[in-house]
Amino acid sequence: MAQIFTPAFDTYTRLFLAAIVLFFVLLLLLGPVAALSGYQSRVGWTVEQPVPFSHEHHVGGLGIDCRFCHATVERSAHAGFPSTHVCMTCHSQIWTGAPMLAPIRRSLAEGTPLTWNRVSKLPDYVYFNHAIHIDRGVACVRCHGRVDRMPLLARAHPFEMRFCLECHRDPAPKLGPVDQVTRMPPLGWDEGTHRRFALAAARRYHLDPTRLDKCDICHR
Amino acid sequence: MSARWKEVLAGLQAQGGRRFWRGLDELAGSPEFREAIASEFPALQSADWNRRGLLRAFGASLALAGLTGCEARPDGRAMPYVEDPEHLVPGRPRLYATMTSFAGIAQPVLGVTYVGRPTKLEGNPDHPASRGATDAFTQAALLDLYDPERSRIPRNASGPISWDALDTALAGRAAMLDASKGEGFRLLTGATTSPTLLRQIDALLARWPAARWHVFEPVNDDALHAATTQAFGRALDSIPLLDRAEATVAFDADPLGPGPYQVRDSLAWSARRRAFQQGDGRADLMVAEPSPTLTGARSLDRLVAEPSRIPVLVAALARVFGIVPDAPALDPAETRWIERAAKTLAAAKGRGLVLVGTEQPAATQALGWAIDARLGNLGATRRFIDPLRPTPPPDRTLDALLADMEGGRVNTLAILDSNPVYASPDGPAFAAALRKVAFSVHAGLWHDETGQACGWHAPLAHILESWSDGRAADGTPVIAQPLVRPFFDVRPLHAMLAAIGGDFTASDHALVQQTWAEKWGALQPHWNEALLKGTATQSSSPSGESPNLSPSPSGESPNLSPSPSGEGLGVGERNDHAAGFLERRPHPNPSPEGEGLALRPHPNPASGRPVPRTGLGLPGAAQPDAPEGEGLALLLRPDPTIWDGRLANNPWAQEQPKPVTTLTWDNAVLIAPALATAHDLSDGDMVRLTSGPASISGPVWIMPGQAPRTVLIHQGYGRRFGEVARDAGFDATPLIGHATVTLERVDGRRALAAAQEAHAIDGKDLVRIVDFIDTAPKPPQQPKPSFWAEKPLTRPNWAMTIDLDLCTGCGACVTACNAENNIPMVGREEVRNGRRMHWLRVDRYYEGDPADPLLHTQPVPCMHCEDAPCEMGCPVNAAVHSPEGLNLQVYNRCVGTRTCSSFCPYKVRRFNWDDYSGDAPESIKAQRNPNVTVRARGVMEKCTYCIQRISAARIDAKIAGHPIADGAVRTACQQVCPTGAISFGDIADPAAAVQKRKASPRDYALLEEANTRPRTSYLARIGGRRDRG
Repeated sequence: MAQIFTPAFDTYTRLFLAAIVLFFVLLLLLGPVAALSGYQSRVGWTVEQPVPFSHEHHVGGLGIDCRFCHATVERSAHAGFPSTHVCMTCHSQIWTGAPMLAPIRRSLAEGTPLTWNRVSKLPDYVYFNHAIHIDRGVACVRCHGRVDRMPLLARAHPFEMRFCLECHRDPAPKLGPVDQVTRMPPLGWDEGTHRRFALAAARRYHLDPTRLDKCDICHR
Repeated sequence: MSARWKEVLAGLQAQGGRRFWRGLDELAGSPEFREAIASEFPALQSADWNRRGLLRAFGASLALAGLTGCEARPDGRAMPYVEDPEHLVPGRPRLYATMTSFAGIAQPVLGVTYVGRPTKLEGNPDHPASRGATDAFTQAALLDLYDPERSRIPRNASGPISWDALDTALAGRAAMLDASKGEGFRLLTGATTSPTLLRQIDALLARWPAARWHVFEPVNDDALHAATTQAFGRALDSIPLLDRAEATVAFDADPLGPGPYQVRDSLAWSARRRAFQQGDGRADLMVAEPSPTLTGARSLDRLVAEPSRIPVLVAALARVFGIVPDAPALDPAETRWIERAAKTLAAAKGRGLVLVGTEQPAATQALGWAIDARLGNLGATRRFIDPLRPTPPPDRTLDALLADMEGGRVNTLAILDSNPVYASPDGPAFAAALRKVAFSVHAGLWHDETGQACGWHAPLAHILESWSDGRAADGTPVIAQPLVRPFFDVRPLHAMLAAIGGDFTASDHALVQQTWAEKWGALQPHWNEALLKGTATQSSSPSGESPNLSPSPSGESPNLSPSPSGEGLGVGERNDHAAGFLERRPHPNPSPEGEGLALRPHPNPASGRPVPRTGLGLPGAAQPDAPEGEGLALLLRPDPTIWDGRLANNPWAQEQPKPVTTLTWDNAVLIAPALATAHDLSDGDMVRLTSGPASISGPVWIMPGQAPRTVLIHQGYGRRFGEVARDAGFDATPLIGHATVTLERVDGRRALAAAQEAHAIDGKDLVRIVDFIDTAPKPPQQPKPSFWAEKPLTRPNWAMTIDLDLCTGCGACVTACNAENNIPMVGREEVRNGRRMHWLRVDRYYEGDPADPLLHTQPVPCMHCEDAPCEMGCPVNAAVHSPEGLNLQVYNRCVGTRTCSSFCPYKVRRFNWDDYSGDAPESIKAQRNPNVTVRARGVMEKCTYCIQRISAARIDAKIAGHPIADGAVRTACQQVCPTGAISFGDIADPAAAVQKRKASPRDYALLEEANTRPRTSYLARIGGRRDRG
C-alpha cells in the first residue's frame, strides 16, 4: 500500500516545528523592540503636510515666538493652530506668488480651511491642558523638542504615558522660568540649579508630585 | 401577576414602624420580583433569550473583540479657521444668554457652546424666572436642534423643492391677498408670547383686514381665563407666590409638576421650604387630587378625591369660611381633611393660599379665590397679571378655523410651528379639510403629520439657531439670540412669517431689533445689555427682582383689578394685541372679600381643547357621582416628559423616567389598585376605553394613590412621525373632551419599561423622615471603626448633599446629567432589561397603604464612598480613589468583569452592554460634550461628580493663584435643580455651603451600616407622622 508520508516529510515537519518555535522566540525578542521603536511612537518620523511649513525657518531662522501662531496656549487646553489669516499676515506681502504657498492662498480665496496632519496628537482619553503647563514654566521644547531645527515637524519624544509620568513624578529637571517658556536653546543650568529652582517653584505653586501622578489629573 | 391586596394590606396594618416599598411588585412579594431584584442584571436571568438573540450577541462580540485595536491611527488632522472669530478660544466654552420656548412661555437659558457648537443649556442665573435652574423639558430641548429627522428642505406635493420655488409661490399668494385685502387667509400658530411675532401678526392683519389669526395650543390656560372672566370680568393669569404661602391647600392643582411654570413655582416653593427649615415660619401643604402628582408627593396630608369630588370639597371649605350657605355632604375622611385644611388656613391668615386646579369648573376656581379673599390672602400670596398666553376668542380657535375650512372660506392657510393634525381630536377632519384649501403651507422643524397633510412645507430654524423673543413665566421679557448658525438651509420663524407676507429679505435679527427699538425708543444701550443678561427690561432692576406688579398696598382689601398699565410686563407695555384678536372690554372691579362674586354657571368658551365638564352647576348642588360599575372619570393630562407630543422624537425626553410612574418610552392607562383588582388587571394588560363613538386601547399601569374610579392617560404618544416617536405609546387624542369612559379588558399585553424596577438598593432606612428642623441639635457622630487607613482631608475634597425635603422629583437633574456627560439612550427593551445608562437616577418609594400612599423621591448619584467596595473589587484596578475624594473610573483599564457593580451596594454603576454610543447619527455626535469621554462597549461608567468641571475649575484656580472658590464648581445636577436640593462643594473648606448642609441634624448617609463612608449624603425629609385625625 502506498505511503502517504514520504521520508522528506519528516524534514518538513521538523522544519515547521522549528519555525514555530523560532517565531515565538523572535516575537519575544523583537516585539518590545518594535513597541519601543519609532514605528510605534513616531519619534523622528516627519509627517507630510499640505504645505511644507518649516519651523526651522520660521522659528529658528526668523525667531518668531511660538505664541504668534499657537495663540491660545496660555489660555486654553489646546495650543491652537494658526488660521489662514495668521499665515497671510506675512504671506500677503512676501512670497506672494510662491507655488509652495498656493494652498494657503486658495484657502483664503475659497474660505475653506487648511487640513494639517497632526504630529503631537494625544488620544482622546487624555485631557492634556497646555495653559497650566505654560503657567508652571514647562517650556515648549521639553515636550515638542527642538522645533527650531526641524524643517518638517516630527515628534521628539514618545507621547506614551510613561513620558508624562516621568516628568509628573519628578518635574525638577523640566521646570524653568515662565518668561523663558518659548526658549528653544537649553537654559544651560546644572542639576543643582534645576533642583533649587524646582524647589522654589514647588513652594510657590504648591506642586506635589505624589498628587500629580493620580489618574484624575489627565484622565476623566 | 394578580395582586393579593387584602393580604398585603392586612400585613401592612400589622406592621409597626415605617415601611417603604418601591413598587407594587415588591409589596406583593411575588417570586418573580424577588428573583429580579436578587439578580443584579435581570436580563441575564430572563428566560426570554432565544437562540437568534444569543447568536447575534455572540456575533457582535466576536466582531468587536480586539479588532478595533488594529485599525490605523484615528483621524489625526487639524483644521484651523480661515479667519479666527473674535474672542473665541478653542477649548474654552462661550455662553450666550438666550431662551427656548415651551408652549409659548420663554424659558431663559445660557447656551454653552464649544467652538460654536451648542452642547448644553443651563439656566440663566441673571433671569428672575430661572435663577440658574431649568426643567427637564428645557434640558432635553437641545437635542431637538440635532435631531437627524429635522426637516432640511422645502417641499410640496411633488417632493423636495428649492426655496426659490416656495418663495415664488408665496409671492404669488401674497400679491393675490394684497388685492383682496386678505380675504380667505388664515394664520394658525401655537400660543406665543413673542412680542416680535405679535407685532408682525398685528402688522399683517392691519394690511389684510379680512384675514384671521387662529391659535391652537393643546395644553393652555383657557380654563383659567374663563374662570377669571367669570369671576372678575376679565381674563387673567394667576401666579401663586408660593414663597409667601405658609399654608397651601391645593385642589387638583400641581404647581410643582411638569409644565411651563414649573421652574417659577419650584423656585418659590423651595424658598419657603428653606425658610421653614431654618425655623422661619411654616410651609404646610395639603393636597386633594384624583391622581398622584409631584405636588401631592410633597404633601404629607394628601386626600385621594375623585374628580367629581373636588368641587364638592372646595364648596365645603368655602362653607366653613361662610362664603356659601351650604355645601353637599362629605364622607368622614373628607370631613376630617376639610377640617384640618380649614384649621391650617385659619392659622395663616394673609399667608395662606388656596389653589384650585385650572381644569376645575369656573365656579370652583372662583370659590377658591373667594376663600383667599376672605382670609386676606388674595393680594399677598397670589399675583394676577394679564394673560401671557391669551385665550383666543371663539372665532379664532382651531374649531372656528376648521369650520371655515370645511365651509370653503379659506383659500390660503399658513401653519407656523403647530401640529393640529396630530394633537387635536379633530386632527383627521383637519387633514381632510386641508384638501379644500387651495394653498396651505406648513412651517415647522419637522415634516410631521401636519406638514405631510399640507400642500407646502417649509423647514423652520430651531429657536436656538434664530433671533426671537418671548416672555418668561413671570412675565419678564427674554430675547433669544442664536447659539449657532443654522445647520441646514432653514428659515427662522420671523423671517418665515415675513415671507408669507411677501417680504423675502427680512432678517429675524432686524425684526427683533425693530420690536425692541420701538419699545425702548432707541436700541442701545439696552439691546447689548439685554443680550448680555438675557432679560429685556428697560429699568435695570436688580437681578432676582421680577419687575412685575407691585403687591397690593394693604393686605386686607385686596385689589383684585390687575395692575394699571405702566407696570407689569416691561415698561408701559401690555400683553395684548391690536384689533383683530383681543378686544378690550371694560370690567367692573370685583368686590373684595368674596362677597357678591358672580358665581353664575358659565359655559366653557370654545377653545382648541374642550374642558371636560364635571357637571357642576351652582355650588351647593348635589354632585352626581359616576354610577357604579359604569363610567369612570377620565383625566387626560400632558405627558410629564414629552408634553403634548412635541418632544416625542427626542430620546432624552422619551427615556426620562416619568415622575411618579417612572415609565419610559410609553404611556399607559393609569388606574388605581382597587380598579385593577376589580377587573383583574396587572401592569401591561391591554384594556379598551370607550366613550360614545370614541375608543382607544392601551396597556394598564397600576398607580397607587389614584382615585378608584378615575383613569388617567398622558397625551403626546401615538405619533405617526419620527423614528424615535413612532413605536412609543398609544394615541389618546380621540378621547379628548370626554369626561367619562368605560373600561374593559382585552387580549394582549405590552411590556412597559418602568425605570423603578431595576437598580434596587437592598437595605432599610433609605428614605428618612424626621420631625425636627435644622435648628434642632445634632447628636455627635461616632465614626465606625474601619481597617482602612485614614486619608488626610486636604483641600479640595469633594462631597455632595441632597436635601430630600426640597427635592420634588421633577427629574431635571437626570436630563441635565445626560446632556453633560454624553450618556447614551438605550431604548425601551434595554430599559426593561435594567440597562438604562443614566448615571443619576431618581428612586421612588411609596409608604403606606397602596390605595393612598405617601410618595418619596430620592436622587441617587454615585456615593463616591471613601471606603468604596468597588475599588476593592475591581480585578484590574480600574476603580481608583483620587486624593480629592472622588471615586474614579478608568475606562481604559476596564475589561468589563462587572465585579465593581456587584460590589456596589447602591447599584450606581452602569455597564455598556452594547455599543450604545457608537452608531449614533452624526448630528447627535455633534451635541456631545468634548470634555467628557465617550465610552465604548464593555466598559463600566458612573457618576464622576462632573470631574470635567472640577478639572477645569482646578486649572483655572491654579493659574489665577487661589484655591477653588466655593460655588466655582457646580455639578450639572446641582446647577439645574429648580429647588436647589443638591449641594456640592469642598468639605475641607470650613466655609463651604455643603458643610452647612452636612452639619444639619437631618444629614444621613445611605446604608450607613455598610460603612462605605459615602461622600454623597442626604438630608432627611421633614414631616411628622401622617395626621389621620
